[in-house]
Amino acid sequence: MTEALLVMVHGSPRPASNNDMFAVVEVVRQRGIYPIVEVGFMECNEPTIPTAIQTCVEQGAQRVIAVPYFLHSGNHVADDLPTLLEAAQRQYPEVEFLMGDYLGRDEHIADVLMTRTVQAREAATLH
Amino acid sequence: MENPQVKQHKDAIILFSHGSLLCGAGENLRRLAAYMQQRGDAEIVEVGYLNYSEPPFEASFRRCVAAGATRITVVPYFLVAGKFVQVDLPPKIEAMRAQYPQVEVLLAQAMRFHEALADALIACAHKSASPAHWRDILNTAPQFCRADPRCPLYGEAPCPAQPKGEPQ
Repeated sequence: MTEALLVMVHGSPRPASNNDMFAVVEVVRQRGIYPIVEVGFMECNEPTIPTAIQTCVEQGAQRVIAVPYFLHSGNHVADDLPTLLEAAQRQYPEVEFLMGDYLGRDEHIADVLMTRTVQAREAATLH
Repeated sequence: MENPQVKQHKDAIILFSHGSLLCGAGENLRRLAAYMQQRGDAEIVEVGYLNYSEPPFEASFRRCVAAGATRITVVPYFLVAGKFVQVDLPPKIEAMRAQYPQVEVLLAQAMRFHEALADALIACAHKSASPAHWRDILNTAPQFCRADPRCPLYGEAPCPAQPKGEPQ
């Protein structure tokens, strides 16, 4: 079973805003858990999510696990992302599509926030 | 002689977020703050919002001060430091510093890049669901309005999407 990880990102009118996200995705890629790792954007940037799904399928993905790279889940995300995946499922009935939890719900986020807290405290002590 | 460098602080963290018209949307962040406080990241961990959601940043700040915090670290709950963090937040922090000069206020960086975000991404992939359930994943947080008794915020703060006096 060839698995693809599809990272679904909002997109930004300032493309440089995506650099940190790309670096995080690169770490995931380097860990070698998923033979295929692609990024797709909801708006503003390329590739779109349907294009990224097509890339996964063309590389031989039999299962696509789509993870929303979002801290919050509002109507926008809650409606648009599943709709895109449902369309993909109809287009590629031989591929299994799964959706992961969204980033903000994972408790590793607490570690990130705590690192930023400690850095701020250390920077203040140095002054 | 006490060394001023090792002054003991009563620490608080405020997770600063944008806020949402979907009033149940903050529940996830409330849970995260409770988790951080419970594991001892700081004695007090609060959530404070820029817009719409309760409590606003200033109220959250005052709660930390009332609870005896001597050092408050404001941590943006943002992946990227955009306008909300760079433009809207600093004057709010300055205003609090002016009102509470006895409290040390620190501003942390946005999340940006962190190895733990890769861990989070992988953990999220492991919690994957099939089409029958994937709308549930995204809907769990915002599906309940505060006007609904099932909402975790029921009866607490007014719903931002339903101003007072407006029929539901």
